Amino acid sequence: MLTKQKSEKFTPDVKWLFILGIVAFLLVFQVFPLLYLVFRAFFGEGHFSFDSFKRIYSYPLNWQCLKNTLITSTFTMIFGVCIAIPLAWLVGRTNLHGRRFFRTIFVTTYMVPPYVGAMAWLRLLNPTVGTLNVFLKNLLGLKSMPFNIYSVGGLIWVLTTFYYPYAFITISRAMENMDPSLEESSRISGASPLKTLFNVTLKLMLPSIVAAALLVFVAAASCYGIPSIIGAPGKIYTVTTRIVDYVYVGSKEGLSDATSLAVFLMALAFLILYISEFAVGKRDYITVSGKSVRPATVDLGKWRIPLTILVSIFAFIIVGLPFATVFATSFTVNMGKSIFAKGNFTLKYWGIITSRRTIIKSSLNSVAAAALAATFGIIVCIIMAYLLKRTRARGRQIPDFLITVGSGTPSVVIALALIMTMSGRFGISIYNTMAIMIIAYMIKYMLMGMRTVVSGLSQLSLDLEEAAQICGAGWLRRLKDVLLPLVLPSVVAGWFLIFMPCFYELTMSNLLYSDKTKTLGVELYLYQTYHSQQTAAALAGGILIVVTILNLALYKLTKGKFSI
Amino acid sequence: MSTIRIEHITKKFGDNVIIRDFCAEFEDGKFITFLGASGCGKTTMLRMLAGFEKPDSGEIHIGDRLVSGEGVFVPPEKRGIGMVFQSYAVWPHLNVFDNVAYPLKLMKIPNDEIRKRVMETLDIVHIAEYAKRMPSELSGGQQQRVALGRALAAEPNLLLLDEPLSNLDAKLREEMRYEIKEIHKRLKITVVYVTHDQSEAMTMSDVIYVINEGAIEQAGSPVEIYGNPKQGFVSEFLGRINLLSGEACDGKLKLCDTESSMECDARFSGKTMVAIRPDDIYAISEDGRFVQICSK
Repeated sequence: MLTKQKSEKFTPDVKWLFILGIVAFLLVFQVFPLLYLVFRAFFGEGHFSFDSFKRIYSYPLNWQCLKNTLITSTFTMIFGVCIAIPLAWLVGRTNLHGRRFFRTIFVTTYMVPPYVGAMAWLRLLNPTVGTLNVFLKNLLGLKSMPFNIYSVGGLIWVLTTFYYPYAFITISRAMENMDPSLEESSRISGASPLKTLFNVTLKLMLPSIVAAALLVFVAAASCYGIPSIIGAPGKIYTVTTRIVDYVYVGSKEGLSDATSLAVFLMALAFLILYISEFAVGKRDYITVSGKSVRPATVDLGKWRIPLTILVSIFAFIIVGLPFATVFATSFTVNMGKSIFAKGNFTLKYWGIITSRRTIIKSSLNSVAAAALAATFGIIVCIIMAYLLKRTRARGRQIPDFLITVGSGTPSVVIALALIMTMSGRFGISIYNTMAIMIIAYMIKYMLMGMRTVVSGLSQLSLDLEEAAQICGAGWLRRLKDVLLPLVLPSVVAGWFLIFMPCFYELTMSNLLYSDKTKTLGVELYLYQTYHSQQTAAALAGGILIVVTILNLALYKLTKGKFSI
Repeated sequence: MSTIRIEHITKKFGDNVIIRDFCAEFEDGKFITFLGASGCGKTTMLRMLAGFEKPDSGEIHIGDRLVSGEGVFVPPEKRGIGMVFQSYAVWPHLNVFDNVAYPLKLMKIPNDEIRKRVMETLDIVHIAEYAKRMPSELSGGQQQRVALGRALAAEPNLLLLDEPLSNLDAKLREEMRYEIKEIHKRLKITVVYVTHDQSEAMTMSDVIYVINEGAIEQAGSPVEIYGNPKQGFVSEFLGRINLLSGEACDGKLKLCDTESSMECDARFSGKTMVAIRPDDIYAISEDGRFVQICSK
């Protein structure tokens, strides 16, 4: 009789401890630093003022980078969605040849670090020696090189090729989950397939399309890897590269400007996060019904082969060409010549990346930091997902909300906020340690794990636990015997989904690293910018191989249920 | 032993009264059925017996133990009950043997004893040859047997079954119905069975509780309930029935739109509904014999 009374009083306490612990962690390392950033932006001079914001407008360089960010993100969003909609439709809803193959290809880019694309396109479209430029010039008999990667257009191009998968994934998911009867009723009312597509399908998907567009916009605006590699040589600065430059300079005005820019970027990201998560996101469910019926596939008829060829060409340009370029670069002696030229092939750079001590040290750092972030992160995710889905503990949504906000915050902003607050000014001094990186990684990437574990848990019927309970198993025992073994695939998947982006992370690492905690992303960036593009390419190739292997392992381990 | 007393149980979800003032006493070893349409509260009542829901007021006694009442609430894992869920809830990561052995393991019984008892139980539910199979390799009916075996393994005095047959196809349903009844006869445990299927209730139960909107409409043996249903809900809900309007007058009951009439209690008079069971209608054959038109 007493047991329940005891456990009723006791269990919420434990739950509260967990919630409080996690909330405290997020408050100290996420909320406080971000708030401090806002505070600094307005109270930099000791009293409230807009001065630091005025400097953004009055200082032409800042104004220019703001404009660049808005222009590149807007066009990336437009192009990304324009590419993603027809692709999602062709791959998801038609009898295109090789649909599954194309799906894998298009989704794959999602797990590739964006700077790899920047490196490849730099080689392809360099205004003097770009391989593709030279090829096109000779082919078409042009007088000058057709493209210049060091331009706003070049930036938009590379951003688009790397961020359209965000839109593709969101839109194709909605398209494939659509209740087929909605379309069938349009057909039966006399509309042609094409009319149905425009009048019913696309209109019903509008919320998903808007959400996808916003996602691409904010991803492009927060991106640092691509503009830092392409923009810097072309003197095209964006908000993110500007912030990093200011931090490197380290002067008082510099930090103040960086803060104002970061607050601007953060406000933009939060506004969009709010719209897509809480306003548009909710409406998403309208088009998605619980029925397991798959929507009808449209017969492309005589267009089937031409469209398949078109999609193949697209896949080759967007995915095949850049990846091949990276690998080719890593084997090239003289980058001015073709890799097939006599004596121009070498394994030297792969030798370097597998033997040079600093590179090996950085790789180990990356593995360690990513593994620790993934492990701590997934523990938080498991506890939070359990509280969220299996208890009615009050306040259980708070950590979920904070984790969502954290992942929506641009990486540059997270790193800057941590630098400003964790360098000893407030009693915590972890700057220049691996801890600060791990914390930054967790804040940015925990959401992936959270979503995976929550969805795994939602699919588990409560009956399975109740059955154990009626057999005589208590709270902990049920967790151990029933819940954990059954959510293990999602937990493993979640771990990998946190690990992978941390493993090759560049933006935050670039701001937070010290000599002892240099990571793979930083190493690659330094080689690319200052030393040897071939070594950087070999590193990028290595990262691609590791990520591909991990993804395959994940696919096998979870029997195809999870992989990016 | 497992006599069950339910006293004035009330349960609300928010402002929604699910169960109102439910009182019942189940004799030891009887097969009790809660019969009612979906949403009538029968499953909630069962879950309160199991301990998954907490009553707002009232008491539940299992045997001579108060399991739920003022300031007292024994959680499900301490009640020592067997239960079969509508979804079977067979653990997909454990094989048949381990599923059934689970309650015994929790009781810290030695391994060879567990082995013996699990095999006995599997024999009872006729899936001994599948002991090493995983649930995903079993049909719906076999999974059902695993769930049943798991509920019986610890030899509980009380077995709860929540619409156990509703996910099976018609033929299997028939078979399992028979089997559950056999197990009940053999083990002589108290069974509380929830269903919306009246033929299940009719064929299996010792006592049927017809539940409507969270309250007991009528309780009794199948014969009583079928033969003498309370007016309104129960008579409409139970069995096939012909409802005709009629008029009673001076000990005669006249069926409207017909010339025929029959004798009835002289105290009744005025317009009324006449409920006639199809199996109570007889035709007179040419040689004068009464021939029942429909069977029960």
